[in-house]
Amino acid sequence: MRILNKMFAGVVAAGIGITATAAFADDIRVGITMRMVSENGQAYGQMMMDEIKGINESGGINGNMIKATLMNDECKSDKGVANANKMVFQEKVHLLIGSSCSSVTLPIVDVTAKAGVPQLVPHSTNSKITQKGSEWIFRVPVSGRYYGGVNAKYVGENIGTKIAYICAADAASVGDCANMEKQMKARFGVEPAYRADVQEKEVDFRSHMQKIKSMDVDGILVAALAETMARALVQSYEAGIGEDVRRIGSSSASNAPVPKIAGDAAKGVFFTAAYAAADQRPIAKLFNEMVKTRYGIHAPDHDFSQAYDLVRIMEIALKNTNFTGSLADDRTAIRDAIANVQGYEGLASGPISFCAAATPQCRDGNRTAVLIGYTKGGENFETEVLARVTMEPDFGLE
Amino acid sequence: MGFDYNSLLAFIIFGVTIGVVYGIVALGISLIYSGLDIVHFAHGEMYMFGAFFGLVLAHNVGVPYPIALIGAMVLTALLGMAVERVFYRRLTRAGGGYTVAGMGMIICGFGMSVALVNVAYFIWGAEAEPFRANLDYIPRLSFPGDIEVPESYVLTAIISVALMAALHYFLRHTKTGLAVRAVAHNKDIAYLMGINVPLMISLIFGLACGLGAAAGVLIGPMQSVQVEMGYLMLMKAFAAAVVGGFGSLPGAIIGGIMVGVFENLGAAYISASHKDIYAFLLLILVLMFKPSGLLGVDAKVKA
Repeated sequence: MRILNKMFAGVVAAGIGITATAAFADDIRVGITMRMVSENGQAYGQMMMDEIKGINESGGINGNMIKATLMNDECKSDKGVANANKMVFQEKVHLLIGSSCSSVTLPIVDVTAKAGVPQLVPHSTNSKITQKGSEWIFRVPVSGRYYGGVNAKYVGENIGTKIAYICAADAASVGDCANMEKQMKARFGVEPAYRADVQEKEVDFRSHMQKIKSMDVDGILVAALAETMARALVQSYEAGIGEDVRRIGSSSASNAPVPKIAGDAAKGVFFTAAYAAADQRPIAKLFNEMVKTRYGIHAPDHDFSQAYDLVRIMEIALKNTNFTGSLADDRTAIRDAIANVQGYEGLASGPISFCAAATPQCRDGNRTAVLIGYTKGGENFETEVLARVTMEPDFGLE
Repeated sequence: MGFDYNSLLAFIIFGVTIGVVYGIVALGISLIYSGLDIVHFAHGEMYMFGAFFGLVLAHNVGVPYPIALIGAMVLTALLGMAVERVFYRRLTRAGGGYTVAGMGMIICGFGMSVALVNVAYFIWGAEAEPFRANLDYIPRLSFPGDIEVPESYVLTAIISVALMAALHYFLRHTKTGLAVRAVAHNKDIAYLMGINVPLMISLIFGLACGLGAAAGVLIGPMQSVQVEMGYLMLMKAFAAAVVGGFGSLPGAIIGGIMVGVFENLGAAYISASHKDIYAFLLLILVLMFKPSGLLGVDAKVKA
């Protein structure tokens, strides 16, 4: 763990400029709202709190402590917005982190834009989050528009172009489906062979799978949250769709419940994510070991890595902020410091950089997607890295 | 492009297999209603507890799936009887239906639902758990048009029909079943005839909760098991019970199958995104034209 922190310390130091916080002698208040209903969700939140505690124990931000408030939004937009309002207006946080779910993050963007509070997004991938034009939003994970491009290129060139789409109604999956569809059309000129919009927590995919089976498709894209995706994968095999029809997952396929619930049906599924536990870099191996030791997680998914990277980016930005004691000025200064983060290299598969303009090109900081395949399902699942692709900043925009 | 009859057949077959599951949960709801004049709003949680009991028995204890099914039914029946004895008895003793106690019973049911969900969260957590069952000994059914019905769905249909038949036999051809029916018809007269009414009420609760558990264990291998699984099933089962005629046991089964087929066809030919609407659309249609449900009597007046 110490070695991992030292490795990051170098990165953090590289990002720190001349700091001046002499006049500020208060806590730096950070609010976090995340989905924490599952074991993994609780571990993401706990890891953030532990990392913030670690920063405080190492002397804080130029002597100031970070006071973090962690709230559970259960991936429900009403709860997420209530949490954001409470933290922004009552607790007067300097910085808001959240949420894990795109459907929650999207409305929170309006809250932080109106209040003038910088918002760092840990996991949400829906492209629209940064397309709202808020100057306060920064996204650490890879945007869905990049995932769509990588998926489409790989699928079209290696699998085929006759693809069936199962798209769940949550914001991330809607975006993942739309991006893939758009890119398949742009690159290969094809429309979906079959498309079904299903509910966020759909449990019965049998009729769709039966239809898909009769169509002789090359692949099935299942864009859904983890548990829903796992059910769809299992039911695709139950319907008699063979292994030769490749299963493509949306970015949620990275989450551990997918191989755990889907079992053997997860084998062969490939998806794009921001981090692969199979990453052979020393930094990744140390991180995997830390998560396993601390939280008992067999192999951390990209939500863990993104939460970790986010805390490091926050640390860099806060250390570069000139705090004045005026809440509005400090919030603006933090925003500008985040916008100045350039070339951060952490667990993400590529560097993360932000800039000042309130555009997706500037605020979708991570442009490198890694294509991952499951080689084994179940509790002790295994993955392999198929490809790593960095996209152009304006890729996928109109 | 012509109409695809094979797809239609597939949607109907799969609609029936899920419909029988709605039917057996609705059967439990109808059983409690016909026996006690109350609507049991915590019945979805009994279904959820049954699924978890089955999961624990199959995965942790290691018993075969059929034994896990029976074990879960027994455990959930005992849980239902305990809940009835400890929490509901005072209210049911004071009356059901449109009485103040009946209203209290409904509210108590809501409270019990929330309490049971939280207990389940505490015990099993929020994550969905896969229910892996070895069903290799069950054959797959094949239909024309390359339609294959997987083992778990075949088993669901067989077990559901067997449970309905067993319940029918119990109620129609045994003395205890006759006593249950007597209590359902009129508790006071049943008392006078020497029937142990509280015991029969416990039995009704146990039977109903056992049926709910069977549905949970049957659904487990298809959809995994999670704490929040009860709510939607309860809604569908209510729709099935109302469509079939609240209080009618054959009606519950017919209502369940109708709901299953209707929602599958709606999902296939209208929009799968709004799949849950179709059950309630059917409910509204039935209530508009036959308010008592398909097999319900027009005005239920007890002796």
